[in-house]
Amino acid sequence: MNINPDEIFDTTSFNVDREPHIVLDTEICKKCDQRACVNACPARCYTWSEEDGKMTFVHDGCLECGTCYVVCARDAFTRWRYPRGGFGVSYRMT
Amino acid sequence: MKQSFDAIVVGAGPAGSSAALTMARAGLKVALLERGDFPGEKNMFGGVLHRLTALEEAFPDFWNQAPLERHIVKKSLTFMTGESSFNVNFDTEASDRPPYNGYTIYRPRFDRWLAEEAVKAGATLLTRSTVDDVVIEKGKVVGVTMLRDGAELRAPVVIAADGVLSFTAKKAGLRRPKFDPSHQAVGVKAMVDLPKEVIDDRFGLVRDQGASNEIVGCTEGVRGGGYLYTNYDSLSIGLVLHLSSLSQSGKTPYDLLNAFMKQPQMAKMLRGGRLLEYSAHLVPEGGYEMMPEIVGDGILVAGDAAAMCIVTGLNLEGINLATQSGVLAGKAAVEAHAKKDFSRAGLAVYRRMLEESYVLKDLKLYRRTPGMLHNDRIYSQYPEMVCGLMDEIYRIDGAPKDTMTKVLLRAAREKVGLKNLLADVYSGWRAL
Repeated sequence: MNINPDEIFDTTSFNVDREPHIVLDTEICKKCDQRACVNACPARCYTWSEEDGKMTFVHDGCLECGTCYVVCARDAFTRWRYPRGGFGVSYRMT
Repeated sequence: MKQSFDAIVVGAGPAGSSAALTMARAGLKVALLERGDFPGEKNMFGGVLHRLTALEEAFPDFWNQAPLERHIVKKSLTFMTGESSFNVNFDTEASDRPPYNGYTIYRPRFDRWLAEEAVKAGATLLTRSTVDDVVIEKGKVVGVTMLRDGAELRAPVVIAADGVLSFTAKKAGLRRPKFDPSHQAVGVKAMVDLPKEVIDDRFGLVRDQGASNEIVGCTEGVRGGGYLYTNYDSLSIGLVLHLSSLSQSGKTPYDLLNAFMKQPQMAKMLRGGRLLEYSAHLVPEGGYEMMPEIVGDGILVAGDAAAMCIVTGLNLEGINLATQSGVLAGKAAVEAHAKKDFSRAGLAVYRRMLEESYVLKDLKLYRRTPGMLHNDRIYSQYPEMVCGLMDEIYRIDGAPKDTMTKVLLRAAREKVGLKNLLADVYSGWRAL
C-alpha cells in the first residue's frame, strides 16, 4: 500500500473546475528562500524546478486543506479561495 | 437575486448544522450554506467523535439515530521507533454501553445526516454555495454574497461555521489576516478497506466495539503524531503534522505516511487491506491562543472557525466543541431575535454561554499544551528512550544485568539528558 500524490485521482475524487481557485504569482516564488509549499503540500501541487528557476502549481488534485495558504512566507497568492460551489475535492468515505 | 432569512449559517459541518438545527427548532427561518455538493463532502478528520453532550439534548438517543461506525472501548497510546513499539492500553466496559464515550464515523455520512436533521427542523440547506464575501452596512454584517452567481442573502445575524480557515470571519474583520504556521497542523489520512471479521480479530473487538490508537514517534522527528482507528469495515490511519515543523523538515506528508504504514507493527495491522481514499485537512491546534474574535456586529463564529480545538497529546477534541458552540451560537441568535438586538453587545450572550460551558473552560485549561507540544524531544528522543528501555529490560544476551534504576537513568541520560527530562516533566505538569 502506497500513497503516490501523482496518482491522486486513483484514491480521491474530484470535480475539477477549469477556473483555478488558487492563483500564484510565480515571480514572488523565485525570490523565496523557503518554498515550504513544495514539501508541505499533501497533494504535491507545487513543483520547483531548480534548473529553470521556476515554480509550477497545478490545482487539479488540490485537497483544499489550506497548508500552502498558511506556510507561504511571501504571500505569493493573487487568489486563494475555495473552489466555486460543487467543484473541487469530493470525499466519499473519510 | 436577494433572499432574506432570520439567520444565515455559513458551513454545514458539525458547528453549522448544530446552530441551524437549534434555530430552526426555535422557529427561525434559517439558511444553511454548504460549498460542497452535499454536507461533509469537504470534511475529514483523523479522529474519534467524542461524546456530543450538546446533541444528546437534541437527540435523546443520539447513538441510535446518528450514522456511527463503532463505539470506542479500547484506547491506546504507543511510543514508536522504526522497528519497535511500546503500548499502553485502556480498555473499559464502561465505554461499551450508552451513552457511549466516543465513536468512529465517516464525515461525509455523519455531517450529511446532521444537516438533514436541521432541514427536517425547517432550515433551508443550500449546497454548492461558496460564500464570497460578507455584506456590511453601517458597520454591521447583514448578509453574504455567493461566489458562483453573485447571489446575495440577507439576515440580521450570520454564523460563521466555515471551518479552520474561516474566510467569513476574516472578511468580517474578526480574525487576523495571516495564520501562524505553529498554530496549525495538517492531517493526512489513508482509509484502508478490511473485512469486519478481520478487524475484530486483529484488534480484539466484538460487535460494534472499536479501538483508537495514538502514536508518538512515527513522524521522523517532525512534531506531530499518528493515529489508527477502526471503522466498521475499514481502518483510518494517518498523521497530524505541525506546519512550522513540517515546513522546516523538508519532508513530505505522504512520504511520512507511507513510512508510517510500512513500520512493521503498523504494517501487520494493515496487512491485506486496500487503499480506499487519501485525504488531508488542517487542524487549528493553537487552540485558545489562536482564537479569533467570536462575536461581532451581526456575526458569531463557531467550531473550527473559532479555533475550538483541544490537543493534549492523548486526545484531540474538536467536533464535540464544535457542536456545543454551534448550539450556543444558535441559542444566542434566538435570544437576539427576541430582543431585536443584533449588535455586538446584543450577541455577547454567546460568549457568556461559552464561558459557562466546558468549551471555553477546557480551552483555557489546556491553553499551554500546544506550547508544551512544541518540544522536539517528544517526537524522537522519548519514543527511543521508552523503546530502548523496554528492549534492555526484556533482552537476554548473556551479559549480567544492571538494576532497573541504573537502566532507567542510563536510558534517560543517553537519549534525553537528565536536565531536559526534568524540564519536560515540569512543563508537562504545568500544561496538563
